[in-house]
Amino acid sequence: MRGTLACIGQNIRRASILALAFAGIGTLCTGSRAVAADETIKIGVVLPTTGSESKPGAYQKEGIELAIKQINDAGGIMVKSKGKKLKIEEVFYDDGTDSKKSASLTERAMSSDGVVAVLGGYSTALGTAESVMADRYKTPWITTGAGATAIFGKGYQYAFGTLSPVALIGTTSAEFLGSLMDQGKLKKGLKVAMVVENTDHGTDYVQGFTDWSNKHAGYFQIVLNEKFELGATDFSGILQKVKNSHADIFLSDAHLPDYITMHRQYLQNGLHHQMVSYGARGPEANARQALGAGTDYIFAGIWWSNKLPYPQAKKFATDYKAFTGHDVDSWYAAPAYDGMRILAQAIAAAGSLDKTAIRNALKKAQLKDSVLPGQVLKFGANGQAEYPFVITQNKPDNKVDIVYPKDAATGEPVAPSPAK
Amino acid sequence: MDSVEYLDLLLKALLLAGVYAAMAVGMTVIYGVMKIVNLAHAGFLMMGAYFALELFQRFHVDPILGSIIALPVFFVFGMAVHWLLIRWLPKSDTPTLASLLLMFGFWLVLQNIAYLVWGNEDQSILTPLTLSSVQIGQISIPKVNLVVFAAAVFCMAVLQIVFHRSWFGRSMRALIQNPYAAQIVGVDDQKTARLTFGLGAAFAGFAGGLLGMLFSFSPDFGRPFLLRSFVIIVLGGLESVSGVALGAILLAILETFGINIPLPVYWHGWSFHYLPPSYQQVIPFALLVVVLLILPKGLSSLFNRKWKAA
Repeated sequence: MRGTLACIGQNIRRASILALAFAGIGTLCTGSRAVAADETIKIGVVLPTTGSESKPGAYQKEGIELAIKQINDAGGIMVKSKGKKLKIEEVFYDDGTDSKKSASLTERAMSSDGVVAVLGGYSTALGTAESVMADRYKTPWITTGAGATAIFGKGYQYAFGTLSPVALIGTTSAEFLGSLMDQGKLKKGLKVAMVVENTDHGTDYVQGFTDWSNKHAGYFQIVLNEKFELGATDFSGILQKVKNSHADIFLSDAHLPDYITMHRQYLQNGLHHQMVSYGARGPEANARQALGAGTDYIFAGIWWSNKLPYPQAKKFATDYKAFTGHDVDSWYAAPAYDGMRILAQAIAAAGSLDKTAIRNALKKAQLKDSVLPGQVLKFGANGQAEYPFVITQNKPDNKVDIVYPKDAATGEPVAPSPAK
Repeated sequence: MDSVEYLDLLLKALLLAGVYAAMAVGMTVIYGVMKIVNLAHAGFLMMGAYFALELFQRFHVDPILGSIIALPVFFVFGMAVHWLLIRWLPKSDTPTLASLLLMFGFWLVLQNIAYLVWGNEDQSILTPLTLSSVQIGQISIPKVNLVVFAAAVFCMAVLQIVFHRSWFGRSMRALIQNPYAAQIVGVDDQKTARLTFGLGAAFAGFAGGLLGMLFSFSPDFGRPFLLRSFVIIVLGGLESVSGVALGAILLAILETFGINIPLPVYWHGWSFHYLPPSYQQVIPFALLVVVLLILPKGLSSLFNRKWKAA
C-alpha cells in the first residue's frame, strides 16, 4: 500500500515537472510570438462556426480569409509609420452562436490579445452583443453580419457595418411586390400576413415594409403582424393564425434554421400564397436540399448574389471557389470579404496601427471596386453602409434569378407563384 | 376561430404529443430506476437523428425503419455507456451532482464527436412523405406527423407491455417503488440498471430518428427538446410512463392552443387578449414552475390520491 502511494507521489511529481516544462515552453513560444507580433497586423475575427448560425458564420470566415490571403499574397498592407508592408495575422474566435460568449471574446480580442480591429458579429443578436465593446476599448469593430439599425443608432464611434440596413429589405420587398402590381402580375390591395423573428432584425424588416406601404396607399393591406422566438421548433400555432388571416402574400423574416423549420411546416400544412418570402433567406443550398421543390418561387431580399453582372463580383466568385473548393452559393461571404478589404484600405490610409487613426480612416473610406450591389462600399454617418438590395427568386431545378431591380435582373419574376 | 379550426389545432397538438412522449420516456425510466437526470439525453436524440440520416443516405433505408433499427443499436450503446461510466457513480436515492456533471460532460463529448464526424451543417431527411399531407375536409394533416405519431404510440405500447408483463419490467417497477425491498427479494439492481439505461438510450435514439424526419438538425440538436422532456417528466411525475403520456399531451395542447385562444385580462375592466407567439417558448417554463409549486410529484399523484381516497 505504502509502495503504491509512493509510486503515485512520484508520478504526481513527474507530472508537475512535465507541466512546468510545458508551461515554460509555452511562455517561450508566447514570447517569440510577441516579437513576431510587431511584424504583423493582428485582426480579430469573432464568428460562429459552431451552433445554429455555424453555416453563415463559416461562410463569412471564408470571405474574410480569402481577402486576407489576397492582401498577404500582394505583400501585405503598407504602413507608413513602420516604413514597410506588414502582413495580416488573423486571430479567430468561435463564439458558438452564443451572444454572451460573442461579447466576451470580442472584449478579449480588444483588451488582451492586441488586435487593431475586430471583424465579425453574425447575426444581429450576436452583433448587438459585440457592438458595446468597440467604444469601450476604442477599437474599430466592423460587423459583417448584423444589419439591424438599432446597433448603429446608439452613437457608437468605433462601430461599423458592411450590411445595408435590414429595414431596406422590407422596403425593397414592398417595392418589388408593388412593381408586380403595377405590371398587372398581381392585383392591388392584396392582404399581407407578416410573421417575423422577435429581434431587431425582424422589427426593422416590418418597419421597412410598413413605411413603404403607408406611403403608397392601396397596394397592401396588412392583416397579420406577429413575432416568433428564434430557434422555435413548432410553428403550427402561428401558421394556423396565418391560415386564419386569409392573406394573399406571406412574408416572414427568419434566420436559416427557422426558415427551414417554418417552411417545412408551412408546406406540410398545405398552405399556399401568391408570393412567399423569408426576408434575406431563400436561395440557400441547405434549404433547397432540405425542402426540395417546396422552396421554388420563394423570393428574398439579399445583400449579394453570385448572379450580379459586375466583373469584380464574378472574379470574387471564381477566387472564392478556388480558395474554398465550393461555390459561393449565398450572400454571406461577400460583405465579409469587402469588410476585410475596406479595413485594409483604412489601415493603409491611416499609415499607422493606431486604432483611432484607423477609425478615422474608416469613416472616410470608400471601396470603389466593391463586389456588393452599387459597386461602392462606404459607411454612413452612423457607421452603417447603405447600398441597394437585390431581389432573387428561386426557380425550379435549383435555379435562382435576380428579378429586381430590372437593370440587374437575370430572369423574369414568376408571380403569382403557381400552386402545386 | 371556428370549430373546424379548433379540431385542426387539437389534432396537431395530439400528433405533437406522440413525439414528445417518445422523446421523454427514455429519460423517465432512467430517472425512475437510477435517480439519474440524464442530461446526455439530448445527445442521444441527436445521435438518433444522424443514425437515421446515415441509414437513409447510405443504404436508402426509410427513416421510420431507421428509427426502429436504432432501438436495438442504441440499447447496446446505452448498456456500454452504463458499463463504462454510470456504474462507477455512487448509489443514491436522489440525483447527485456527480451524476449531473457526468451526464452533462458526456453530452458535450457526443456533441463534439458529431461535429468531427458530420460537421456543423444543418441536415435534413427529405422523403416523399416529408412535404405531403392528408386532406380531411378543411383539415390538413401532415403525413409524416401521422406516421411518426403511429410509430411513437406503438413503441410506447410495447414499453407498457414490457413494464407489466416481463421479468425485466417487474424488476424495474420494483426498483422504482422501493430499491431496498427489491434487492431483498432478489432483484439484481446492477443488471436492471444496465438494461434500463440501455432502454432509455434506445428510446432516445428512436425518438431522435423520428424528430429528424420533422426538423432539420445539427450536432446542437436536442437542446430545446431536453427542456421539454424535463417539463413532461415533471408533469408526469418523474417515474411513470402513463404520466409521461399525460404530460406530453398537456404540454403539446398548451403550446399549440396557448397562442390561439384569447385569454381574459383585467386592466381597467375585463378584456380578451392573445398571448403573442413570441411567448410560446415561455409556456414550458411557466408550466414547470407551476407544477413544481402545486404538484411536485406530478399530475399522476393527483390521480393516485383520488384512487387511494376511493
